Amino acid sequence: MAQFDKYKPVILVISRELLLTALLLLGISMVVFAILYLAPGDPFAVLLGGQLVSESERQALLESLGLPSTWYGQYFSWLGHMLQGDFGNSLRSGVPVAQELVSTGLNTLYLIVGAMLVTLGFAVPIAIYSVSREHSLATWLMTILTYIVSALPLFWLGYILIYYFTRQLGIFPVSTSSGSGESLNWLHLVLPVLLLGIGNGAVGEILRHLRMELQRVMDEEYVRTARAKGAPVWRHAFAEGLLLPITEMVAAKLPHLLGGAIIVEQVFNWPGLGRLAWQAALDRDYPVILAVAVVAAAMVRMGSLLHRFVYISVNPRASQEH
Amino acid sequence: MSASSGPLLLQIRDLRTYFYSQAKQAFVRAVDGVDLAVFKGSTLGIVGESGSGKSITMLSSIGLVTSAPGVITGSVIFQDGDKPVNLLGGLPDYVYLEITDGRIMAVHKQQPQWMTRVRQNLKPYRGNNIAMIFQNPKAAMHPYQTIGAQIMEAIQLHTDIKDKVAARQMALNWLDRVQMDSPRLRFDNHPHGLSGGMCQRAMIAMALAAQPSLLIADEPTTGLDATIQSKIVDLLLELRQDLGITTILISHDISVIKRLSDDVAVMYGGRVMETGPAALVLDERNEQRHPYTHALLASTPRRANANAQGYLPAIKGEVCDNINIPAGCRFLSRCHAINDRVRDRCRRMEPELTVVAPGHQVRCWLRQEDG
Repeated sequence: MAQFDKYKPVILVISRELLLTALLLLGISMVVFAILYLAPGDPFAVLLGGQLVSESERQALLESLGLPSTWYGQYFSWLGHMLQGDFGNSLRSGVPVAQELVSTGLNTLYLIVGAMLVTLGFAVPIAIYSVSREHSLATWLMTILTYIVSALPLFWLGYILIYYFTRQLGIFPVSTSSGSGESLNWLHLVLPVLLLGIGNGAVGEILRHLRMELQRVMDEEYVRTARAKGAPVWRHAFAEGLLLPITEMVAAKLPHLLGGAIIVEQVFNWPGLGRLAWQAALDRDYPVILAVAVVAAAMVRMGSLLHRFVYISVNPRASQEH
Repeated sequence: MSASSGPLLLQIRDLRTYFYSQAKQAFVRAVDGVDLAVFKGSTLGIVGESGSGKSITMLSSIGLVTSAPGVITGSVIFQDGDKPVNLLGGLPDYVYLEITDGRIMAVHKQQPQWMTRVRQNLKPYRGNNIAMIFQNPKAAMHPYQTIGAQIMEAIQLHTDIKDKVAARQMALNWLDRVQMDSPRLRFDNHPHGLSGGMCQRAMIAMALAAQPSLLIADEPTTGLDATIQSKIVDLLLELRQDLGITTILISHDISVIKRLSDDVAVMYGGRVMETGPAALVLDERNEQRHPYTHALLASTPRRANANAQGYLPAIKGEVCDNINIPAGCRFLSRCHAINDRVRDRCRRMEPELTVVAPGHQVRCWLRQEDG
């Protein structure tokens, strides 16, 4: 019971956040649905190869697909099925959307987690190094280099990477045609992960934030106390100076990564959510677009939940604020 | 109280700390040639206004000034058992100062080597032989750790007690020793759950838990409620009597200095203006004191100090500018005691610390013979 009391505030906050997440996802699905409904273009026009569909043909098609004819009917029918884990079938391929979501979602997850690790792999050591050795030439050079790399456009850098590593050196393969049954392995993932990790503009920004926060914490009075006490400074500065800023940046940069993933997946033909969304948008494949929007929002939300969770577990004050 | 004699525990010689101020685009001489001596078992009080350099003097001495463009020179000799150690030893090798007409033009410093040397020099002593407590204890303790854990850390780092259970027991003993209310309950509190006074008690427990030979207390009562202040002073008095620990007490509060110190150093503009036994330096009838000390004492809140309107006399003027150091006495512009006999000398040249009584030195032309 005492154990439970200790974690009670954390559990309360997390369950509240989860509830908020559910409401948020509901809201997002509504907005996306409204945008799709109001947007020009028609899935049936795409399906029928660009022919103009007459109103009677349209009704017949809707009936054959078992879709309600009113917009709200369509939304609630979609929502009802979605709550049971059924995202409907793709209008284009007829395959259940949920099935496609799982495989593409995992592929994108590998991509963005890998990319985030690459980004942090650059930003964290440079931030630590430059705080411990302020005003040195090396930190200045590293910072400039980071900003230059961060400013390079993703698609351009992507083709450069493919040119050198795949065409010239032949080190890393790039998947050639989408869904041709060729087996993808981790080698296919190396270039996209590197590209998204380095080229999405996040390294410079994360570096700047981490360095600023770390410097601020190193100047805190309690870190001075740690020094005066003869304790390892990192033991005292880690939670507020590194852990929190890192999770904060991970949460803040997830939407950018997902956006970047759309480009990277196009460039490298990587079968992820980004490519799926791109193709679905071209085809006006409404169920797929809706599902991708909800899943992407959930991923972003998971990032901020992670940060929130870390924050309230390290900061005893945070759980009492609620 | 012990007399100002016997073996020295700490001796500071010609300590100088210069910072580069971005705002003023110039070097600030925060500490500008300070000499201090602390006798074993005694308490040295360092008093002065804000900006007089008293805190920076002690922070510099134990390598807690981390700002990169800062330069610290001089020596700080700490008596480690029979072995005297210079805590600032080797640091001048990594700095070169360009000085033109008494103004620092540039500082060349090998920061990484400097920092490494500071760490090497002080690692065996900080927190172990030399402990420090700070003002604003709520900010000076780790906000995410319980005070118990923080005291335990000091015990496990610096004493033979490495076992968790034993360290916990020891930490509780220390909380009890600093008269914390219900130590067992407070042990698991975080600093934000405690009052400033309780936090300072925890801080004192944390510092003393390593059984240091020197305790540096930097404004330990500043920012606390008046009633709590006097309780913390009582506690420090009691602990000093019990443990016989040598203390350096930094405070702008003369009444605190008066109650705790054996010796007193009065600082102004990064310099020691007067030093000697508390009985002599803080004696209001002593005519040999420095005019600054006199003015400081006259401005402490006491009924006898009130003037005819019932107000306290303030020291007129601004604290000495630490960038453009005047050629003469640093206190000249605010001095009320100046007379025609010395006026010329005060303007031209800074006086040296001169012995006016056994152990009592004053930096003032008024206290020196003509010639």
